[in-house]
Amino acid sequence: MRIRAQRDDLADVFTRANRAVGTRTALPVLQGLLCEVSGNTLRVTGTDLDVTVKTSLEVEVMEEGRAVIPGRLLSEAVRKLPPGDVTVGVTENEIEIQGNGPRFNLRPLNVDDFPTQEDLVTDGVEVDGEQLAEAIGQVAIAASGDGARPILTGVLFEGTDAGLRMVATDSYRLAKREVPGIGLEGSGLVPARGLRELPRTVGAAKVTAQLREREAVFSSDKGVLRLRLIDGSFPKYQSLLPESYPNQIILDKYELLEALGRVTLVAEDHIPVRLKLVEGGVEVTVTRQDVGGESEHISGEFSGSDEEVSIAFNPRYLQDGVSAIPGDKVRIRVIDSFKPSVVDSGSDEEYLYLLMPVRV
Amino acid sequence: MRLVIARCTVDYSGRLDAHLPEAVRLIMVKADGTLAIHSDGNASKPLNWMVAPNTVETTEDEWVVSNGRGERLVISISEILEDVTHDLGDDPGLVKDGVEHHLQALLAGRPWVLEDGLSLIRREYPTDIGPVDLLCATPAGETVAVEIKRRGEIDGVEQLSRYLERLNLDPRLAPVRGIFAAQSITPQARVVADARGIEAVEVDYDGLREIEDSELRLFDIR
Repeated sequence: MRIRAQRDDLADVFTRANRAVGTRTALPVLQGLLCEVSGNTLRVTGTDLDVTVKTSLEVEVMEEGRAVIPGRLLSEAVRKLPPGDVTVGVTENEIEIQGNGPRFNLRPLNVDDFPTQEDLVTDGVEVDGEQLAEAIGQVAIAASGDGARPILTGVLFEGTDAGLRMVATDSYRLAKREVPGIGLEGSGLVPARGLRELPRTVGAAKVTAQLREREAVFSSDKGVLRLRLIDGSFPKYQSLLPESYPNQIILDKYELLEALGRVTLVAEDHIPVRLKLVEGGVEVTVTRQDVGGESEHISGEFSGSDEEVSIAFNPRYLQDGVSAIPGDKVRIRVIDSFKPSVVDSGSDEEYLYLLMPVRV
Repeated sequence: MRLVIARCTVDYSGRLDAHLPEAVRLIMVKADGTLAIHSDGNASKPLNWMVAPNTVETTEDEWVVSNGRGERLVISISEILEDVTHDLGDDPGLVKDGVEHHLQALLAGRPWVLEDGLSLIRREYPTDIGPVDLLCATPAGETVAVEIKRRGEIDGVEQLSRYLERLNLDPRLAPVRGIFAAQSITPQARVVADARGIEAVEVDYDGLREIEDSELRLFDIR
C-alpha cells in the first residue's frame, strides 16, 4: 500500500477515525487504524468494538493494499509534518510516513487480527445533522458515566408518531427531547459516549440515521459512525414526570447561569446550591465551611400555592440543565424540596430536564 | 463459551516446545477464540493456553490452534466425556470495591456520623508529610483531623499522630484533635489511640452505603 495526499486532508481522516480508538482496549490491534486502499480511495476504520468510525478520502494511489497502523501515533505524526503532500507507504514490516523532509518509520500491527465487520447498506432516514447534534448535546448530559450500570450510560432512541424521542437519565436527573420530523423506526439504547463523538466524526449538514437490531448507524459524506446498542431495559421514565406543580419561577437563563458560575467557585464535594423561591425572584445561596459562601438575588416571576419554597440542588446538575434549555428564559417548576423539579423554557414543549433535589 | 472434558494429549510449539501426556483435562474455548487447558488442580492457572486472536481447526480426534505469531497447539483427543456450549452474553466487567477510598468519600459526605455536629472542612487536607483524609470542624469551631482505614491497626494511629503533630504547628488550626475511623479497630490500636488522646471510632460501612443509596433519586437503581 502506498498513497499520497495533502497533510491536512490525511490528518482529518486519521484523527476522526482515531476518536473511536480507546486508550485501554481488550485487543492490542484495536489501538490501530485499519487503512485500506483500492481504486483511488483510502478507507480508514477505528473501533473499540462498541464505537466504530469509518472515514474515507480520495488520494493518489501508487499501490493498493491494507494495513493496521498505530492510531494515535499515525494521526499525531501526520499532523506534525510540514504542510503539503504526505506519502504513506507500507511494507510487510514497516510503515513509512514522509512529508517535505521528515520521515517516520512505524511498526504495523497484524492486519489479520483486526476485527472484520459486515459491509453495511445504509438505508436509514436523512436528518438535519445540526438538529440531531443539538438534540444529542441536550440529552447526553443526563447520561451516567458509571460503567457499573450500563443501561444508564445510554440515550434511549424511540420512534414516535411525531418523530424521534431521545431520553437519558443517571437516576439523579433525566433529559427528554422530542425531535419532530425524524421518522426513525424502532427503539434502542445508544451509548452516549459514542453519540458525543457524532459531531466530531461524521457531523455534517445532512446525516443518515438508522436503528438496526444491534447497532445505531449514522453516516454522512464524512464517513460512518456505528454504535453497538446497549442491552437491557431502560427505566420506565414516563411515570417519573409529575402531572402538576404547585410552584414555578421564570428567570432569565443567562442571569441564572452567571449566578451558578459564581456558585461553583465555592461549591465542591457535592455541596448543594440552595434556592429560595419568593415573590419577585429567587435567593441563591451556597455555603462551604472552609471557604465561606456566596449569595445573591435574581429577579423573576414567581407564582405558586406557597408563599416561599426552599429547595437545594447539585449545582453542576442544575447548570447542565439550564445550559441545555433553548431560548432566553428558564422555568423551574417545583413540588417540594423532596420531589423532582422540572427545568424547561416555559414555551418550548420539545425539551425538558427533570432534576432530583438534594437533601439538606 | 465451550467446555470440553476430554482424555487428550497436548503439544505446544512456539515460544518453547511443551508436551502434556495423555490425561483427562478441561478444554475451555472462549467466544473470542481464547483457548485454555486445565487440570483438576494447579489453582487457577491453565496448563496451557493460547490467547485470541487464534484460528481453531477441529476434527473428531484433533484440534489445531494457531495464531499469526507462529504459535501452534495440537490437542489429540482419544475420548470426549463432556461437551457443552453456553452463550454467556456481554460481560459487565469487574467492579472493584475500593472500600477505604469509598469509606472516605462516604464519611466526607456525612462526617456527623463520626461525631455529632461535625462538618467537613476539606478532604485530603495537605500537611508537609502527606494529606490527612478529612479535616473537619465542630460546631464550636474546634478542628478535627480524621484518618480512615479499612482495618484499624497501630500503624494507622501512628500515622494520624504524625499528622496531628504537623497540623498543631499551624496556629490557624491549632488545637487539632484526632479521630481514627475504621471498619474494625484492633484492641492494641485502641490502647495507643487512648494514650494519645485520639478517639477511635468504628464505622458501619454497609450502613453508610445504605445511607448513600437513600440519596434522593428519580427511581430505584438496585
